[in-house]
Amino acid sequence: MEGEKALLAHLYRRAGFGSTIAELNFGAQKGYESVVDDLLNPERFPEVDDDLLGRYNLGLLMDSSISGESERWIYRMVNTKRPLQEKIALFWHHVFATAWYKTEQNPDIVRQICMFRESGLMSFKSILLKLSRDPAMLDWLDNQENHKGEPNENYARELLELFSMGVGNYSESDIKNAALAFSGWSFIQPIPGYPYGQYPSEFVYLDDDHDRSEKTFLGKVGKFDGEDIIDIIVKQPATARFISRHLYNFFVADESPVPTWGHIGPSNPRAIDELSHAYFEHNGDIRSILRVLFNSDFFKNSLFKRVKCPAELVAGTIKLAGTHNFPVPSLSKLPQVLTMMGQELLNPPTVEGWHTGREWIDGGTLTERIDFSIGEIADVSNPGIIEITSILNKELKSWTSEDLVDSCLDKVGSMEVSGQTRSALVRHVNRAWPGKDGIHRGRITELMVVELLKLIVSSREYQFA
Amino acid sequence: MHRNKRVESCIESNPPYALLRAGFPYIKTIGMIRTTPSPVDIAVLDKNNLFVLCRGRGVILNSVDDDYPLRRSPIGGNGDGDGQFVWPTTVILDQDQNIYVSDEALNRVTIFDREGNFKSKWGSKGDQEGKFNRLSGIAFDDDENIYTSDSLNHRVQKITKNGEFIAKWGGFGSKPGQFNMPWGIHVDYWGYVYVADWRNSRIQKFSGSGEFVFELTGSPNDKFNRPSGVAVDRHGDIYVADRENHCIKLFDKEGRYVEKFVGDATISKSGRTYLMSNPGPLRQRESTELEIQKRFRGPVSVRIDDNYNMYVPDYGSSRVQIYKKEAYPLSPDQIAPTQRSPRLYTM
Repeated sequence: MEGEKALLAHLYRRAGFGSTIAELNFGAQKGYESVVDDLLNPERFPEVDDDLLGRYNLGLLMDSSISGESERWIYRMVNTKRPLQEKIALFWHHVFATAWYKTEQNPDIVRQICMFRESGLMSFKSILLKLSRDPAMLDWLDNQENHKGEPNENYARELLELFSMGVGNYSESDIKNAALAFSGWSFIQPIPGYPYGQYPSEFVYLDDDHDRSEKTFLGKVGKFDGEDIIDIIVKQPATARFISRHLYNFFVADESPVPTWGHIGPSNPRAIDELSHAYFEHNGDIRSILRVLFNSDFFKNSLFKRVKCPAELVAGTIKLAGTHNFPVPSLSKLPQVLTMMGQELLNPPTVEGWHTGREWIDGGTLTERIDFSIGEIADVSNPGIIEITSILNKELKSWTSEDLVDSCLDKVGSMEVSGQTRSALVRHVNRAWPGKDGIHRGRITELMVVELLKLIVSSREYQFA
Repeated sequence: MHRNKRVESCIESNPPYALLRAGFPYIKTIGMIRTTPSPVDIAVLDKNNLFVLCRGRGVILNSVDDDYPLRRSPIGGNGDGDGQFVWPTTVILDQDQNIYVSDEALNRVTIFDREGNFKSKWGSKGDQEGKFNRLSGIAFDDDENIYTSDSLNHRVQKITKNGEFIAKWGGFGSKPGQFNMPWGIHVDYWGYVYVADWRNSRIQKFSGSGEFVFELTGSPNDKFNRPSGVAVDRHGDIYVADRENHCIKLFDKEGRYVEKFVGDATISKSGRTYLMSNPGPLRQRESTELEIQKRFRGPVSVRIDDNYNMYVPDYGSSRVQIYKKEAYPLSPDQIAPTQRSPRLYTM
């Protein structure tokens, strides 16, 4: 039973942003595979109440503020009943990294994330098609400058290199021909942001600007357009492996940075084989591939093998503290917290996205991570602290220091720590609240829980998901 | 917004029997993203000057004719210190033209003199009488007491202008007299209180002591979607800022739907000045459709002055759209009796 709960906590960390005690108990009643099924079918559960947030953050109605949208996303990560929907949006935001800084065009950046949220579990072909018609992406990689007789290869190059197949699986000529196929895929000029604010753009296909010549692409010959190119791409074994490796890196265990994948193989080739097989078996349907992934042994054996990205750390800690379940002014500070940890949502550093794994951590970002986590759980009146304290008092009528430490670790998502960390925590309890003959019978207070949790969230182990 | 006592003496004891509605033309647009960003409410100082409450900026005194901010800096600013705002919601003026601003985050009303100097503040968080949980709309009555939308306590509280509790009504729910996160509030010329019952998507009308009169839920084919503001003119016509439908809806004194305004903005003087010195945006405007730019985007409130000018703080477009009503009061002897049934013969 404990192992099952630990596995569920692992699933909620990876397929979502952690779990509350209530969510974990609910999941334990349903069983692991049933929870996987729920996660993969988010439409079974109600949407986040966006209205409520929009009451206070008035710009959300018009998608007019990029920081406001980051607030909304973090709020959704914490409060959603459809955690995989937010997680898959974050996954595609990592893979198809599009940054606000180039255009500062808020509504289209916001719409791209909505598209990832709504379409992120569809077939890879559908997702690539939507991506190729997304104004934010087209502008980011200059495809509106890709004209008949005057090609711009930027989008076609990244489509092959970073979005689908990876370096070494196509030729320069394939890039040039793919670019010709995407000529005329553009967007409507939006009304400028001054003097009255921004408006979203829309995809437009300009037939007159499209190159209709015969093209050779990945060994196929025809008068291809962008849709044909995507159709060919999604049938390539290299695509299956590339997307499988992305899924593995994001949901299972840290891989080397994406730019190294051309010369560094996957850490678990058999897992990539299994996912690639699922890719073809299910016609690239991401929902089906993820079902295979979450039910696999390699996933179940990957507890705490990924460094949490800042969004996971922040949203997970907020869920632990039980804060931000209703809009409050301090929500507006959270996007900056993520930025200080190295992950400015909606504004990744380059088209490569963020480098993940241990690259999230340096002296500065580690300090930010620990400072935030301690600060978030420090208030004894936080609902999460009150709930944990109440449960601990029910579970532990008399207790040893080891009991208290183990129970607190259990409440932080069945967290595993090294023997050294556990000993340090036990030593602290012994020093702070010495019991008679090592046995305590008094009530565990919220202050005690906060003190212990502050140490736990400061630990090396808490940085891992 | 507070009505002028001198004008008030001209008000009939009842609204006119009926109206010949001649039109409600658009007059002009003022402000732009740099001068009036994210406006949530307006108080009319006089026919040429408006106090525009802007989220994230403060209260801007903007001229209507010249479309220019008349002060170097806004009144108030961001923060929780005296004279600062976090989530400012409503601005109203008392008879001496002191400025009252409610703040939904700080649960308080801040008072400035008409020059913008901080005078005082009142209000704090709680659910006891005289305390607030997300203090939202505020409106003066004739005696300069203030009706407040106490949003997360789901009630209306009547407070003196110095912050002392007088009365309350409401509670959570969707029945008549109950509320779900009320937002805007208004007191009409005859002392009735109108509340934008935001999460119930309706407007409720009450007597000054809280007796329920009626509710509005929208037009027959276009229900409200989270209305946030309400105002009533000297004819008794009711204006509703139907925020998530991006429009203003107009009802007569009995609550009969008349028409809606979806926005008809032109370029403001300040906007024109900006555009004429920026070739890039000028070209982009020349390259695209402009129809949507006329429309309201998430209007939070609506205000009517004593001369039937309608002011709409067009939040999403950082401007104010102004319209003017043309209507002629009718006495019972000028108009046929009320029809029980409709008729096809209209000649």
